[in-house]
Amino acid sequence: MEQEPHLVLCVDDELVGLQVRKLLLERAGYRVLTATDGAAGLDILAREQIEAVILDYSMPGMHGGEVAAKMRQVKPAVPILLLSAYVGLPPEVTCLVDLYMTKGEGAPVLLTKLSTLLQPVST
Amino acid sequence: MNLSQFKSILRQAFLLPVVALLVTAAALYVQIRGANATVDLIQESDARISQATLVAKLMADEESGLRGYETTTDTRFLQPFVDAESHMPTELSRLENVAGADAEQKHYVANLENEYQTWRDAFALQIIATVKAGGLANDLDLNLTGKAEMDRIRQDLDNIIHNAEAHRTVRIARWHRQVHSMLVALLVLALGMGVLIGLFTRSRLHAVSVAYSSSLDVLGRRAEELFQSEQQLRTTLASIADGVISCNAEGRVQMMNPVAQELTGWSQTEAHGRPLEEVFQSVSEDTRNPLENPVAKVKRLNSVVGVTNHTVLLRKDGTELVIADSAAPILDQTGNTIGIVLVLRDITMERKTQEALIAHEKLAVAGRLAATIAHEIHNPLDSVSNLLYLMRNGASEEESKQFMAMAEQELARVTQISRAMLGLYRESKAPVAVDLREMLQEILLLMERRLTDLGVTVSTDLPTAISVAAFPAELRQVFTNLITNAAEAAGSAGVVQVSIEPQAQGVDAVGQKLVSGATVVIADNGAGIPDEVQPHLFQPFFTTKGEQGTGLGLWVSRGIVNKHGGTIKLQSNTSATGHGTVVSVFLATNPTINTGGD
Repeated sequence: MEQEPHLVLCVDDELVGLQVRKLLLERAGYRVLTATDGAAGLDILAREQIEAVILDYSMPGMHGGEVAAKMRQVKPAVPILLLSAYVGLPPEVTCLVDLYMTKGEGAPVLLTKLSTLLQPVST
Repeated sequence: MNLSQFKSILRQAFLLPVVALLVTAAALYVQIRGANATVDLIQESDARISQATLVAKLMADEESGLRGYETTTDTRFLQPFVDAESHMPTELSRLENVAGADAEQKHYVANLENEYQTWRDAFALQIIATVKAGGLANDLDLNLTGKAEMDRIRQDLDNIIHNAEAHRTVRIARWHRQVHSMLVALLVLALGMGVLIGLFTRSRLHAVSVAYSSSLDVLGRRAEELFQSEQQLRTTLASIADGVISCNAEGRVQMMNPVAQELTGWSQTEAHGRPLEEVFQSVSEDTRNPLENPVAKVKRLNSVVGVTNHTVLLRKDGTELVIADSAAPILDQTGNTIGIVLVLRDITMERKTQEALIAHEKLAVAGRLAATIAHEIHNPLDSVSNLLYLMRNGASEEESKQFMAMAEQELARVTQISRAMLGLYRESKAPVAVDLREMLQEILLLMERRLTDLGVTVSTDLPTAISVAAFPAELRQVFTNLITNAAEAAGSAGVVQVSIEPQAQGVDAVGQKLVSGATVVIADNGAGIPDEVQPHLFQPFFTTKGEQGTGLGLWVSRGIVNKHGGTIKLQSNTSATGHGTVVSVFLATNPTINTGGD
């Protein structure tokens, strides 16, 4: 039971949203690292033992699809959950990630999806 | 063969017979003159013969008078002698003077005169003197001598007559020869001239007939060419999709192609010869006022009248069509107008297509905006719902306050966005006062996310509030479009500058009257637009964005600006230093709104 909490990386350029999401995940028992753009996120991924990534799609510079592709090159095993404010995402982006969801679906959905992603690791 | 050659042939054909006849006449004249000379000579011979005969008669009178007097001694018998003797010198001199005497003749006449003189002096006068004296004159020797003298005289006279007759015979023979040769010459000349004229005429006529037949040939070919070219034009006219009406110089309809017949509702037979204004009645689409007849307009301006839009054609059955029409004069070689051609096209469908395209672009813009808005609203909503979740799952009071403040902040953002959105599609029938600065700020707020996504920095220079009369929804569409274009052109780390330059009423440097208004300038520091692309920018369906663009943005924007009585200008620079594009939109404070647009 004294299991080390999972380390999750959150990437989003929306500062308020990122902050709230970090709080939410910490309350749910995760350790959370944050980055406000794709480049910073990739840095942290390379440095830290990240177990899952929650990635925003719409960001300046590199969008979520591009960031996911680079993350797959660096650490292909780390599961990625893609968040988007857009209802429809292009298929070449959705096929890159393990799961995706639309922002505003609510915190329980986010937590459920994140735990599904981490399931194989915990067993 | 040209006309002057033909005339010269005609002249030759007339002159040659005349010359031939003149030559013949001259030859005949020479011949007749010769014959006449011969006739004169014959008459001379006749005169000589008759004169010699007269002298012979006088001789006989003298001799017989002398004999009678000798025998009877009665002076009455001597009378014939006296009469003849008195005439004798005159007649002898006449005989001597008959023209055309030759040496022989002269010799005979001289002999005759001598012998007569001898006979008269030595014999006759002696006898008369003897008888008068009462002597006897029957001396045989004397009488024999007289007889011998008289015989010689008679012989001379005979000689003269014979000689003259011989001459006459020769001359008559010559005359006969001359007449004969004249006939022969006449015949030969007539024949020769006939043949010559015949041959000449034949050769000339041959040349003329060759030329005539080649002319006929050329005419035939011309007719064929003309027919073919007319046929070609007829087929072309019948096949083209535009209506064509041709009129004569008086403006009466001559020809209508099938499309024109269909558009006007008049058949060719019905319309033929009617004044055009009867067949082609048009009114202005906007004002419904009758439009000037194109024929009258072409005649008035004497040049091509370009395509006019906004023309409504009133068809024969009373229905209406929106058409575009143009007219041109048909000129002859000297530049006189001999007819007018009118070309018309049904643009009802074109209009509908245009309207559909504009609506399509509006929808595309709305679609893009909707996506942006969804994104803008979803982000704060996500934060709010997360905050609510945190609060429900046991947060401290202090934390709850903090979360609520954050949620309120996020909700304020949503409200701001939805307010900006409300203005977006509020359609108005009449132009309303629009503050350009406020509108641009709202648009930039809505686009903020998109601009940050693209990595574009926006700098604004919006000094004062400027109000213009406009349709706000349409102007938003224009500026959203132009700012999107600028941002996409500028790209990552690019700069877009949005500014307003007010313009006061006045007169510019070149004396052009300026109306009050403002120019909205949207500039980017992108790569610029190559010169070869620039002319196509305002055409529908032209896009440099591949699948991402509809290719209608600038086309619709220009339509909207024109409708607002404004102008849209684009300047671009592709050089290494100072590259970028500047789009300026001028809008007047109180514009004349062109509801027709284009």
